[in-house]
Amino acid sequence: MHKTADGKDMEEDLALFGVEHASKLGANYADVRLEDHYNELIIVADGKVQRGIINRKRGLGVRTLVKGAWGFQSTTDLTKNGIKQAVEIAFKIAKASSRHVPKPAKLAPTKAHKASYKTKVKVDIEDIAFEDKLKQLVSWEKSLHTTKKVVRGVAEYTGLKIDKMFVNSEGANIHFLNSVVWVNLKADAKERDVTQSYETTIGHSGGYEIFEKKNVKKVSAEIGKKAESLLKAKAAKTEKDATVVLDNHYVALLVHEIVGHPSEADRVLGREAAWAGTTWWAGKIGEKIGSEHFTAYDDPTVPGTLGYYLYDDEGVKAGRKLLVEKGVLKGHMHSRETAAIFDVEPNAGMRAITFEYIPLIRMSNTFFGEGDWDKDELIKDTKRGYLISCYRHPSIDDKRYNWTISAQEAYEIKNGELTTHLRDVALTSIAPNFFKSINATTKKVEIVPLPGCGKGDPMQGLYVGNGGPCLRGTATLLGVG
Amino acid sequence: MKSALSVLEDAGDTLLKLAGSKGIDEAEAYLVSNKVLTIRLVNNAVFESKGVHDIGVGLRVIKGKMLGFSSTADLSKKSLEKLVSTAVETAKARQLPFKYSFPKRGKIAKVEGIYDKKLADLPPEKAVELAYEMVASSLACNKKIVDNAGVLNLVSYESLVLNSHGVKAENNGTFFEGSLSATAKDGKNVSEGSDATAGRSLKELKPENIGENAAEMAVSGLKAQKLKEGTYNVILDYEPTSGIVSNIAMLVSPMIARLYMQLFLDKLGKKIASSQVNVIDDPLMPHGVNSAPIDEEGNPTKRQIIIDKGVLKNFVYDSFYAALEKKKTTGSAQRASFSTGVSVFPGKNYNGEPIPVPLNPYLKPGDWKREEILKDTKAGLLVRRFHYTRVTNPTRGDFTSVLRMGLFMVKNGEVVGAVAKSRLLDNLIDMLRNVDAVSNKLVVAGNWGNYTHVPVIRTKAHVAPID
Repeated sequence: MHKTADGKDMEEDLALFGVEHASKLGANYADVRLEDHYNELIIVADGKVQRGIINRKRGLGVRTLVKGAWGFQSTTDLTKNGIKQAVEIAFKIAKASSRHVPKPAKLAPTKAHKASYKTKVKVDIEDIAFEDKLKQLVSWEKSLHTTKKVVRGVAEYTGLKIDKMFVNSEGANIHFLNSVVWVNLKADAKERDVTQSYETTIGHSGGYEIFEKKNVKKVSAEIGKKAESLLKAKAAKTEKDATVVLDNHYVALLVHEIVGHPSEADRVLGREAAWAGTTWWAGKIGEKIGSEHFTAYDDPTVPGTLGYYLYDDEGVKAGRKLLVEKGVLKGHMHSRETAAIFDVEPNAGMRAITFEYIPLIRMSNTFFGEGDWDKDELIKDTKRGYLISCYRHPSIDDKRYNWTISAQEAYEIKNGELTTHLRDVALTSIAPNFFKSINATTKKVEIVPLPGCGKGDPMQGLYVGNGGPCLRGTATLLGVG
Repeated sequence: MKSALSVLEDAGDTLLKLAGSKGIDEAEAYLVSNKVLTIRLVNNAVFESKGVHDIGVGLRVIKGKMLGFSSTADLSKKSLEKLVSTAVETAKARQLPFKYSFPKRGKIAKVEGIYDKKLADLPPEKAVELAYEMVASSLACNKKIVDNAGVLNLVSYESLVLNSHGVKAENNGTFFEGSLSATAKDGKNVSEGSDATAGRSLKELKPENIGENAAEMAVSGLKAQKLKEGTYNVILDYEPTSGIVSNIAMLVSPMIARLYMQLFLDKLGKKIASSQVNVIDDPLMPHGVNSAPIDEEGNPTKRQIIIDKGVLKNFVYDSFYAALEKKKTTGSAQRASFSTGVSVFPGKNYNGEPIPVPLNPYLKPGDWKREEILKDTKAGLLVRRFHYTRVTNPTRGDFTSVLRMGLFMVKNGEVVGAVAKSRLLDNLIDMLRNVDAVSNKLVVAGNWGNYTHVPVIRTKAHVAPID
């Protein structure tokens, strides 16, 4: 953040000015997010750098609540005049909107926190020369090409640094310095008319150090080999009511789609009906929706995850949200406004990707809770079934009820042993049926990076963490070859 | 006070001078002032009204055979100096294995009907009233309507491309998007309907029609019957056809084809659709929902054929992919970041390098009237909306969409009743090959910021009920 000539924090001064001006105009509530963004993107495909980008953006977004209606305006003009203009538009449109707000928005109370925190970073992404990062990406992509059968490789790197100040008219003042990085590696292998692909994402909230720790070159080579091995795998055949053991990586997308999204209180209230949809479990808090082995949380406070934060974009202190406990639906992800509607404590679910967007209820790190099995034990205990590994594509209905998610690979389990390697496989089920079928979960919970979650209009593409233990349940296995 | 365009022009001139003084061989500034006003409607009320004014510049530089890119939202001299050095930093080690140069000046045509001062100057209070009118007309249409949600997006932009070859071209435009999703309830029966449209001028926006159409679809979906799984003749109405055209548009981008969706990579010159399928990209179309006189690196745009009588004729190119594949640019550059966590707005974005995509693709109308297609269908389905549409296997073309609402059974040429939620699961190329009727009228259709001009088509597809 920048300092004024007399050493004062310039951003704080500007942000507070925005809030004060909104209050002066008559806003019942106002908050300002003043942010400095730095981001890098490198894409390498087949030995060629397709993209090499550095973006910088600094600006402010002001949100006002006037007569129970929301108004918002962003600006990159960080002069007092520029901020004043933005505040006036946010106030004016909120006031105009209030004519058509029969139930004025109310905010659940929260403490006006004052805090300053940052993501733990060992190697700042800006301290590594862009040139060196480009060279590394080229070498990682090259490592995907383990044999001539790997006909295509793509390595994509994103690095983000966000310096965010949040102030509101209730006296909150929170400063968060975040850094998030990830690389996605994908290999396509081809033999005659069969093409198979395999991919993975390595990433965390932190600095560039993760890429040294994880030995990306080695991972790339493994991805290349995996893609090639799928050429020889057997195409899966459809089987109803199959016993399936889902690995942590497959579980990540499953929990994202059928637990995370339907837990967003705005979806529960029908506020996303025109876009992503609603949720089948609206009004079922306290009801049994799954087996006792089904527990799920959303927790932004897990260090190193893509969804890490300690205070959300409404200044609410974050903690672990219990969504489902032993099969009973316990709670949702909330904004201060939806918390007031449900008469619960706000639980820090609001985020916006940049100062240019109004915050929305978003997942942070949503994951299934752990059980008491070891993965090997779980497989050994399965007489006949399938190990489903690594998610690929989802197709989910608007109520998050009927789901189909494909996997990158699977293994047949016979008498507790992994046998035939399978490709072109997907699972499909009805959410409550699947939840009721979960009969075992492992001890080890893993949260993996999921950098592509979309929500909102205009769309906000956000990075989150998802995962859990390995789960065993029942679903229809689909052969999609 | 300076106009937005002159602020952009000053910053662009400064950048080219700075680049010249740093020994950069070629520089290109893409400058944007983009204003978006969004009125979001939920639960029959205005939920939030929000505005963005995004102003900034993306700078590309060529030094020797190296190419670099950086962007900033700060147009101060100090920031522009930093932008030049950052762009140079990104160029180091990005040695191009082919000769590359920024576009030269070309003759730019004028495109009618893409800027409307009334839309650009509309006071936000009036925008709120227009948005609410969609809800009011839906509620007034039928007493069974219990809920509405939707959005009105109003966009106005000014953009300018300047480069070392003397290119100085501007593209100013306006755009709106209005959509509404209505819920009808009758006893235990609940049904949804929606309507969405987009255009370039305020006079094209008919909020009352959007509300009525959404309500009418919702009510007509009550008492839906469960479908029997099978392969059906499917009449894809405007919105689902737009979903098909949007996917075709991505597949003919050499960048997207190389990185993500390979389906068309080996199919140039091959028959991929029935003879009735003709896809054209025409950014010069007057009043075109995505029309523009220049692409987003300053090339004049032009009409070009993508699919001709079912044969894949052309991929589209920006100057970078044209050089990489030894082709000519087709004036098809668009900018947007590829990264999550980075803003992408309706209108224009400056924070990405150009991506080659068809700018204003459309499916050429055929000779059937929409009613004739219906009348000609002995047994089949009328699909009026797609939801959650995906190409789930990018090399094979497996295609899926949730038929969440607007699904009807057709028997002996007539719509005989609503069908409960189902899922379409087929192959994109098979569906294109099975097209046997194309209607004769183009309508702007789409959703969630993505609109194209399309007719109605009939094809075959596998559809299964969703429990």
